[in-house]
Amino acid sequence: MELKTRQVNDVTIIEIEGRFDTHTAPPVHELLQEAILEKPAYVVVNLEAVHFIDSTALSTLVAGMKRSRQVDGDLRLCNLQQPVRMIFELTRLDRAFEIFSSEVEAIEAFQEANT
Amino acid sequence: MLPTIIAAQRPHFQALAGAWLDGGANSFVVVFENKPIAWWPTHADPSRVTLVENLWLGRKKIGELRVDGPNSRAARAQLQAEAVLLSSLIESSNNLNSVTSQLIDTQDQLLAMYDLTQTMREDVDFNKMLYQLASETTRLVKVDAAFMMVQKTGQPWLIEESPASAFKPETIESLLALVQETGHDLLLSGEEAREQFSNFRNLLLLPIQIRSSAKAALGLVNKTGGDFLSPDIKLARAIAEHAGARIENALLYQRNLEQAKLQTEMELAQRVQLNLLPRRQPAVKGIDFWASSRPALQVGGDFYDFLQREGWPFTFTVGDISGKGLSAALLMSMTRSVIRTKAHDFPAPSPELVVGWSNEELYEDFTEVSMFATVFVGQYEANSREMLYANAGHSPVIYYPRGGQARLLEADGTAVGILPTSFSENQRIRFEPGDVLIVATDGLSEAYNTQNEMFGYDRLLELTEALADKSAQEIANDLYDTVNEFSAGKPQDDDQTVMVLKGTKH
Repeated sequence: MELKTRQVNDVTIIEIEGRFDTHTAPPVHELLQEAILEKPAYVVVNLEAVHFIDSTALSTLVAGMKRSRQVDGDLRLCNLQQPVRMIFELTRLDRAFEIFSSEVEAIEAFQEANT
Repeated sequence: MLPTIIAAQRPHFQALAGAWLDGGANSFVVVFENKPIAWWPTHADPSRVTLVENLWLGRKKIGELRVDGPNSRAARAQLQAEAVLLSSLIESSNNLNSVTSQLIDTQDQLLAMYDLTQTMREDVDFNKMLYQLASETTRLVKVDAAFMMVQKTGQPWLIEESPASAFKPETIESLLALVQETGHDLLLSGEEAREQFSNFRNLLLLPIQIRSSAKAALGLVNKTGGDFLSPDIKLARAIAEHAGARIENALLYQRNLEQAKLQTEMELAQRVQLNLLPRRQPAVKGIDFWASSRPALQVGGDFYDFLQREGWPFTFTVGDISGKGLSAALLMSMTRSVIRTKAHDFPAPSPELVVGWSNEELYEDFTEVSMFATVFVGQYEANSREMLYANAGHSPVIYYPRGGQARLLEADGTAVGILPTSFSENQRIRFEPGDVLIVATDGLSEAYNTQNEMFGYDRLLELTEALADKSAQEIANDLYDTVNEFSAGKPQDDDQTVMVLKGTKH
């Protein structure tokens, strides 16, 4: 798995590539913790290059989403691939997260909320 | 129950009976499980009766109020009202009993936790040992002062000096620097010593070899009456070697203690979990039922439970807490208790309400620790052969209608603890003889093989269809066996739980 992070205005983008599962979740967890310390805690996780996700990975994302919402931020998702989208639908996590079809839209949604 | 209530409220029952007798009745009798257990007057014949009203617990008749003599409509209405009031008293006292037993449950767990923290307090005082070594050195070799320094990997140096506070902080800094740059024995005396440490006449520094990943040194300052001679150095060397062995042991002990702590935590988590799982399989009209759970080495937060109450639909639940270890086990016990209490609430709330109420109660605590619980609550009504369920983020749940295709029953609400309000609604399926419902946890569907492939939903669905003709217990065991075979050579890293319900003829 590969992890990249960058900053677009006040939004932290995290790009994950490869399997996102119990073995690869810990570094993502750490990155999210750091990103949430930023003010504001605006995080977008881009899942474009993730084709596999398991329950540990899901709980990592949920934990990040809950932490960021506690400090009036949010963790949003974009570019879910079909197998990943299926898991979100099956567990109804698609109702808990704000999910966007592109990174630009996810970032814009943060900016709009700000203005 | 009724006899306890009568024993506790005897004067009130007597007043009730008195009112009937004053009104012209021959007798007033309370019957419990078909036997008269209290009657007034004492010489009355409890079998003679003109009016009877039933006492109920839920939908089950548990006793009667009987009056002999009066037979008017008003008298009948009065006895009926008394029976209804008494039934509701029995219901409340029964509910109270079940809440009490849950409280006792929780208290037992707290006691276990307390024991654990007590045993962990017996820690070795590492610094005290270092001080003793330094002070023995001062006494045996006859020096003004001595110090012991130890550094465990990745941690700051620990320094103990004798006499206490013998050195200024800046002296300690310089001594530390010297220890770090010198890998061998070092003797400074005369000018050389005074140059580096103004008030030192001489200094003997002995690095200590420790096998484990730690560094240590013994230092001696100002030999009484002159210089360090060969016998002094030999003695100091011997002390240093002895100190090395003691430090080694102490570090080993600390490491073991850490491991013991972890081990105890694991065992406690496992105990919490196993103690809370039902110890028997229930007998349910119209259902062949089997459930079991296999905790992983690093315990997850799986649980299952069921509720059988006369006159209520059979209620069952399976849940999985995100995360592992003691925290997951404790949250599991909390979640299980909350669901239990909500499901016990009168009168038999539907799965949607149980899930919704539990979410409301648990949301804040779960948010605090950024965890959540997937929960499936089902209810089976034997007479209508209908299954009502609410699914909060739980998977896999597999439904196989006999002769049809196995399919996943998807969640309609997110897991408990994620959102402040639950979206889960009651869903309804028919449950006829031969139909199969499997509520499992992701430890099963997410079991990996050595090629890093996951067992997955498709294999589970196929397997369900292949096993559907077997009994509930056989289906559960075969599921476990197949998953075990698949992941042979890989440790089981999450709890696995399987609950199987199979429709049978009444």
